[in-house]
Amino acid sequence: MLSLKLPPSFSFKPNLKPYFPPSQQKPYFSTIKSVLQYNRKPQFAGTTPRVIVITSGKGGVGKTTTTANIGISLARHGFSVVAIDADVGLRNLDLLLGLENRVNYTALEVLNGDCRLDQALVRDKRWAHFELLCISKPRSKLPLGFSGKALIWLVDALKQRNEGCPDFILIDCPAGIDAGFITAITPANEAVMVTTPDITALRDADRVIGLLECDGIKDIKMMVNRARTDMIKGEDMMSVLDIQEMLGLPLLGVIPEDSEVIRSTNRGYPLVLNRPPTLAGLAFEQAAWRLVEQDSMTAVMVEEQPKKRGFFSFFGG
Amino acid sequence: MASLCSLRLNWLSSQHPISISGIGIEFRTENYCNLKFNRTRKYRGKLVLTACSTGSSVSTQPTSDRNGQNAFSLRKSFQKFQQTVASLPPVVLVINRNSGANLVLGFFIATTCLIIAVRIYVARRLKDTLPGSVADLVRRGQLRSDRRGISSKPLQYEDPFNNPLVKISNSNSTVEMCGTVYRLAPVTLTEEQRTIHQKRRSRAYQWKRPKVFLKEGDSIPDDVDPDSVRWIPANHPFATTVSDIDEDLAQNNVYQKHGVPFRIQAEHEALQRKLESLQGEQKFNKLGIDPANAKDFERAFRTQSKSHERLENGTHNGQVSESKPHKPDPAPNSFDTNSGSAKDDI
Repeated sequence: MLSLKLPPSFSFKPNLKPYFPPSQQKPYFSTIKSVLQYNRKPQFAGTTPRVIVITSGKGGVGKTTTTANIGISLARHGFSVVAIDADVGLRNLDLLLGLENRVNYTALEVLNGDCRLDQALVRDKRWAHFELLCISKPRSKLPLGFSGKALIWLVDALKQRNEGCPDFILIDCPAGIDAGFITAITPANEAVMVTTPDITALRDADRVIGLLECDGIKDIKMMVNRARTDMIKGEDMMSVLDIQEMLGLPLLGVIPEDSEVIRSTNRGYPLVLNRPPTLAGLAFEQAAWRLVEQDSMTAVMVEEQPKKRGFFSFFGG
Repeated sequence: MASLCSLRLNWLSSQHPISISGIGIEFRTENYCNLKFNRTRKYRGKLVLTACSTGSSVSTQPTSDRNGQNAFSLRKSFQKFQQTVASLPPVVLVINRNSGANLVLGFFIATTCLIIAVRIYVARRLKDTLPGSVADLVRRGQLRSDRRGISSKPLQYEDPFNNPLVKISNSNSTVEMCGTVYRLAPVTLTEEQRTIHQKRRSRAYQWKRPKVFLKEGDSIPDDVDPDSVRWIPANHPFATTVSDIDEDLAQNNVYQKHGVPFRIQAEHEALQRKLESLQGEQKFNKLGIDPANAKDFERAFRTQSKSHERLENGTHNGQVSESKPHKPDPAPNSFDTNSGSAKDDI
């Protein structure tokens, strides 16, 4: 921790001017408080519950992975989280969390009166603050008429629970802009746009951002997944700043490409719980931290630099 | 006049004057430290050559004579110094004279190089094989590979920005994460740029969120705005179901906090009514849990599996009773007698 105790003469570079949303103009030094302060919990910003939809437009960019890891990170920090898998036909969030064997009831059974809402919520044994709610079973079908309203009822019922209102309700949105997307965004008041640095994902993301803004969701942050600094350096991949220039959204996080993501997915164990932490896990944790504080990135990692080695490194030091 | 040039060598605070046949050159090192962040202190040596001239009778001589004498004495002293230097043997010859010491020196250098090479070789070999590591334990079957590297215990650090794996450089220009150093570039998005993008999207995407989903081919109800209708294909999951509960009932089901869920209670009450009706018909004595009766009240997906099981049990019991007609018929809701009969069969 010695390296983290910054000197008194420390000063932030003036060219690292951060972006602030107009609603929350902060003093200059508050932008780097998350860098400077340590051994503290993130400070919750906004009103409970914060209903956040995690969407992308294009499939396979990491919506479900982001939902699982950010949800578990928030639960680790002590916030109560309910993750709703709104992907009606192709749900996967339970698999990523390793809870697939514990999903007996879904929201569909709650609507039909087969069970109560508290019976359909699957509580994670590792983190008691985290609960999962699946909309439906893979082969069951949701009634047509009140799909969007059903999510609003669910959010209202979660607010009125005896255990208390959850701090975060994360909605894992299905791909596309079909009826599932419309259903998922209905109760949300914030959105996290997950995209990858390729032109197909960016085009879909731009369209989805447009739809969200038309629907009245203005607080949209962007998360760039599967970024490869070596390809960005070789100009084979768009940089994060290029993506931001194209979409014009504040950055919530940049997740580097990491083979551990696939391993953790196959194990059913979220990446942020890995020990030792991986690069992608750390990035997810930092994104969760920014999400709590409604903060955004002020600087991005652009390329790898060779680590400076000491004089005695030749001798094995 | 006596002129004296002294050569002194100072290291830190000590002085080492060298005086050779009346001529001395003084080397002095000045110490200064570079304090960086009040922690790192670096010492650097600076070599200063100073020439001093001292004379006690300087004030009594005329100035012109003094200058001439000074020049002469300086020239003389330099000549002396050159002679002294020329008289000394070259360094190579001195080293050649001490051939035994040279051998020892060479031996030490060779040994050091050998140690360095061996150490690098061992380090590389350890890096490749890692005997006793977690990967090695997994390879030998001592540890389960699927649980490797994961733990349900909370991590030691709380702040993901400030932990031993994230180190930000003093100039804030680089960050080291998980042992890799990254250069940081500032985010340049401004509020104006964001507004421009929002306006562009609002022009490009005119969209109103649909409120009603209708299957393709259905007619629009009278009270529904056509703009708020989302037409979905006939094979869409939303379109292929027909809801048997109305909207208010579904909402009540979601808001229910305590008690028996609606459908479970409805099934129970229906079964209760059936039982009461049967009681009224004086069929109580022959009453058991008849799968045919229960089938009317249960849901389809449960009824099929359960009724099949029960039918199978019933046929099995029937076969048993047929094969052993002398045994008394067990009560249908008595598990003890059922299990007893099963044991008898075995």
